[in-house]
Amino acid sequence: MYEPLPFFHRGPSPLARLTFFALVAIALMIADHRFGALETVRLSLSVLAQPAQRAASLPGEMFGRMTDYFTNQDRLLRENQELKVKLLEQSAAAQQSKLLVKEQELLLNMAPGKSRYTSDGMIAEVLYNARNPFVRKIVIGRGLTQGVRPGMPVIDGSGVVGQVTTVGTFTSEVTLLTEKGQAVPVMLVRNGLRAIASGSGKEGALEVPFMPVSADIQNGDQFVTSGIDGTYPPGLGVAQVTSVEKNAAFVFARIVAKPAAGVDNNRYVMVLPTPIAAPPAPAAKADERNKRERINPKGSRREGR
Amino acid sequence: MRAADLTPVARDVMKRPAGLGFIFASFVGAYLLCAMPWSGWLLLARPDFVLLALMFWTLHEPRMIGQGAAFALGLLMDVGDSMLLGEHALEYVLAVYLAQVFRVRILTFRLPEQTLHLAGILTLSSFVLVLLNLVLGADFPGFAFLLSPLFTALLWAPATWLLYHPSVRRRRSESPS
Repeated sequence: MYEPLPFFHRGPSPLARLTFFALVAIALMIADHRFGALETVRLSLSVLAQPAQRAASLPGEMFGRMTDYFTNQDRLLRENQELKVKLLEQSAAAQQSKLLVKEQELLLNMAPGKSRYTSDGMIAEVLYNARNPFVRKIVIGRGLTQGVRPGMPVIDGSGVVGQVTTVGTFTSEVTLLTEKGQAVPVMLVRNGLRAIASGSGKEGALEVPFMPVSADIQNGDQFVTSGIDGTYPPGLGVAQVTSVEKNAAFVFARIVAKPAAGVDNNRYVMVLPTPIAAPPAPAAKADERNKRERINPKGSRREGR
Repeated sequence: MRAADLTPVARDVMKRPAGLGFIFASFVGAYLLCAMPWSGWLLLARPDFVLLALMFWTLHEPRMIGQGAAFALGLLMDVGDSMLLGEHALEYVLAVYLAQVFRVRILTFRLPEQTLHLAGILTLSSFVLVLLNLVLGADFPGFAFLLSPLFTALLWAPATWLLYHPSVRRRRSESPS
């Protein structure tokens, strides 16, 4: 084992240091996880990390643009066999305009979502997927300075993408719908049935737990946000049911749905402001609800399987 | 059989210290490599360049880089990788501690054996990270997470070439013999 010579002794032993740093790290984790007390630390560190982040994502962005360029070229060549020679001559200009049109379409697609609500959202560029294999998050290029706040819903042209969970100075993290345990209150378009969709932790799949076997849910049904949570505005597309498994042996049906939004492949998303809070619940009922919540504060998500 | 070998245990005891600027630059470079937009399967297999640089300087410049630097860099990585503050810090501090404990032993070996030692240390510390996340309720990411420490260890030889040999080369060219 390593033991410094006494005449070269420098401070506490490695083991003492390890113990100290490990304790500090664990304390930090608890403070961050349980109390969310370290937002200022995170913010200031994110300012430090920001320029490096930008610099590091440049090559990737350029590569992305290159691949875009080449796939578009492929398609054009197929479509315009007889103009092949001409296209090759003018391909550079043509590709760029194609890309611009695509982007404009994307942005226009988002506009209807905007008109549905009183105050408008802001469009943010998706910078990269969060580099954390344990969670499903994306990082967008709008932050505290642009007015993004934790809890804001994030949508794309066809539906809900997720929710802002951590805000940096110039960037924010959006937890995707598919993140395990990320819940959205939803409503079935066909018959108004209310439910809660939650992420499955798998790519492109949501679960709708706690729906009784008798519930009227069919394959292909559309879920939209119900808006009763006061976080998501009502009427945003959430998911389409892809499989309903009703087994009489279980209390609940097993329902899997596919997110409506391109949760994993967007270049632009829109951050919506949190809607105006609903009027407070009647006092007596609120008390009752609190009591019930105290008995079962979190609920257990995975029973009945 | 090296019965009459009188070489000192650590062969680099008289090495000239690396400049602080060079160390700092290596960390910046490592952070940039880590901050590239890795995703999906590649993210699980991403070599931890920052940890690699940390291990290198812990072994070769133990007076400058130790657990304090590991902790600070770990926090920075936590922010960059959107993890809980302290996860990477704990991982790095543990890895650097192991490197400090086995430093003299590791440095007696040549690069292949050093790589093996590194693989062991890095795998152990990455287990800590996965365990932490499992405790926090994440799903098991699959055994692909073992690829990351493996790739990091495989980069040990290139890293040594990149970080160690410039100073040696410079010294050789400066020395009169």
